[in-house]
Amino acid sequence: MRVSRRTFLGGALVVSVPMTLTDVAGVASAADEFAPNVFVRLDDRGRITATVPKPDSGQGVRTMVALLVAEELMVGPDDVRPEQAHGDTARFGSQGVGNSFSARQLSEPVRRAAATARCLLVAAAARRWGVPVEECTARDGAVRHGRRVLRYGSLVRDAAALDPTTVPVTLTPPERWRLLGRTRAGRVDAKAIVTGKARYGIDTRPPGALVAVVARPPWIGATVDAVDDSAARAVPGVVAVTALDPATSGQGGVAVIARSMPEALRGREALRVTWRGGTPTADSRQWLAELETALPAVPAAPGPVAFEATYKLPLLAHAPMEPMNSTAHVTATGITVWTPTQDPGTLRAMLAGQFGLDQADVRVEPTLTGGAFGRRIEPDPVLEAVACSRAAGAPVSVLWTRDDDMRHDSYRPMSVHRLSAVVDASGVPTWRAHGIATWPLTIMPFFNNPAIIKAAGDHFPYSVPGRVDVTLRDAPLRTGFWRAVYAGQFQYAEESFLGELGHRAGLDQVDLRRRLLPADSRLRRVLDAAVERAGGVRPGATRGVACHDDYGSVIAVIADGSDGRLRRVTAAVDVGPVLHPSGVRAQVEGGVMDAVSTVSGAQITVRDGRVVQSSFRDYAWARIDQAPDIDVVLVRSDAPIGGLGELAFPPAAAAVAFVTGRPVTGMPVGVEVG
Amino acid sequence: MARYRLHVNGERREVDVDARTPLLWALREQLGLLGPKYGCGVGACGACTSLVDGEAARPCVTTVAEAQGRRITTIEGLSEDGDHPVQQAWLELDVAQCGYCQPGQIMSTVALLATNPDPDDAEIDEALRDNVCRCGTYTRVRAAVRRAAQLTRGRR
Repeated sequence: MRVSRRTFLGGALVVSVPMTLTDVAGVASAADEFAPNVFVRLDDRGRITATVPKPDSGQGVRTMVALLVAEELMVGPDDVRPEQAHGDTARFGSQGVGNSFSARQLSEPVRRAAATARCLLVAAAARRWGVPVEECTARDGAVRHGRRVLRYGSLVRDAAALDPTTVPVTLTPPERWRLLGRTRAGRVDAKAIVTGKARYGIDTRPPGALVAVVARPPWIGATVDAVDDSAARAVPGVVAVTALDPATSGQGGVAVIARSMPEALRGREALRVTWRGGTPTADSRQWLAELETALPAVPAAPGPVAFEATYKLPLLAHAPMEPMNSTAHVTATGITVWTPTQDPGTLRAMLAGQFGLDQADVRVEPTLTGGAFGRRIEPDPVLEAVACSRAAGAPVSVLWTRDDDMRHDSYRPMSVHRLSAVVDASGVPTWRAHGIATWPLTIMPFFNNPAIIKAAGDHFPYSVPGRVDVTLRDAPLRTGFWRAVYAGQFQYAEESFLGELGHRAGLDQVDLRRRLLPADSRLRRVLDAAVERAGGVRPGATRGVACHDDYGSVIAVIADGSDGRLRRVTAAVDVGPVLHPSGVRAQVEGGVMDAVSTVSGAQITVRDGRVVQSSFRDYAWARIDQAPDIDVVLVRSDAPIGGLGELAFPPAAAAVAFVTGRPVTGMPVGVEVG
Repeated sequence: MARYRLHVNGERREVDVDARTPLLWALREQLGLLGPKYGCGVGACGACTSLVDGEAARPCVTTVAEAQGRRITTIEGLSEDGDHPVQQAWLELDVAQCGYCQPGQIMSTVALLATNPDPDDAEIDEALRDNVCRCGTYTRVRAAVRRAAQLTRGRR
């Protein structure tokens, strides 16, 4: 059985079966509106509001929900207003964004919810006209019968009065979709974004709110020994200084609460903290060496081993453009939190549990999120804000500086991979072994298990039998989810190794993979589509190829370049039905750029117990001048809808690395790892 | 603390802050202009990019004292409702993912097109290489800058 890791998010078992209509029905409609379920409501002017249960961190869930509702309610994409749901899993189901789950979890229930609304509106119109339902159609915000037209707004009272169980609900079949898979519309928040009106977590400042920054452990694991806050308290604008207990309030440290951000920063500069404990001599080169020593033994091969190679992968930071932040207001009766989170529902339950509150007294308002990539599953900034609000007796916004964000992340674990293969007479592998030494995810104890990590990481898509063995060492610093996490390590090593095997045997990189894929497979189809779009390899050019099969979707990535310079990336992806074409392409483009960044030089290193990198100056994330042309081919299929957000990164990294500098020995390419 | 007169988006505004206060925090916290984003505070990411006397500047490393008396334009000052050609190009190409860096990308583009109405890809890359996008929208940014140049020329 494949273990679905997000099933265990937050330590609680979240049933990942899609919600059914019965879960979302039973919402009482106000007198002037029609709300047949939690996802959709219409008012008496026909205005349609779609509730978006999961937060949007750029992956496009708000656009997806709006399009699903517009499709089934037969209106345009601009006719649906997305409304972000506050944290409430009892009402909205799973609200976690992770494991590329959003489309898989939401598309069916949201479509069904909107189709229910449409069928009830049609039934209400048919009843008013005294004609059979089958003779009526819904189109452009109205129900029509011959020349007669009733706008949705005029039907909401009648529709709300109908018993939904008496009205059969029909979904619009994909072949009749007007918008889904076809629309050229952009994302719903695009206009707010380009006018500077989009509001993120950092833009939340309730009336009377103070702002806090935290003096954080200068080396890994350090805790506060003593604080002299006299100078900090004397800084104009500083209101309070409070120690944060790492057991209850995030990662620990000392918070300086002030009227404004510059004053808080000046207060933090004036703070005198002595620290103790931790690992002040830790060095990531040493960690890498220890992982290499810990590699599992190479299993007995069924023949002579043709080739063996080792790959070393670094720590990676999430570094979303919007640094960690959270705003909280603690009152005598409850807690309100405004925060960029990937999981408002779990966050609310966790806060209620930790502070002994009824969930009804905890309000979590997710904001737009300036990137997440796995980091915002964690609650640490929220816990800091709650502690600060308690200390100050006022709403407080905690903001992390970029330095804080980069040096106090939950990093993607380092890993070392040793691969070996037996090949046939033509050089095609017939047996493979992949030994991995890595760390679990400290933010989720569930992952402290080699079998779980193997299940998460091992998505080798080709028909080559073999062995995969995982050895775990204790993580020496915080580790967490990072776009594709373990699959991003494992598949990078696998495809890099396969590429090198093929190169040594003089095999064409595409032909080699075609020979290892069944002719009628989805993966073979996307590989062929990518090759067709990419065209032939120019003389003197290098082509890297890699595939990936995960989250119920498949992708093939072709990277073309010459002289170590990447020029063009072509990806073909099959996610089953495409919902928002521009959004699907965007997720693949994003995965490709993550690949360019991590292959070309971005890594986190640790010296003297400290994370060396502190901003985009030294965390070498790719800039526009490193961006190749990216061409994304959408291969449509009738497979069930699959996940996408994390799909492109692992194969894109391997394909890009092959072009950038083979033989590939790790990540980044051509840079000392660690 | 002292009073500083700022000329922001065509209006005269006053802020009461310490002279060392970065312009970014005066814009965001005093004037409620939340379009310029905090991304690094050290001029290394471009998320706060705004125009100072028509040139792309980083309000996170520009003090209020330095900004006094100069014309400041933030993303909010570009147009009433998004009809500036650069914004229009951004919408046409559906550039944004999370969107957080995009006000900065747009303002850098406005500054580029003011001096170079028809930039080639190398010139675009040069002008925007200090605007980091973590979602990876660069290929669309490049295409949108080209489109914005077209739209701008068309309006002349």
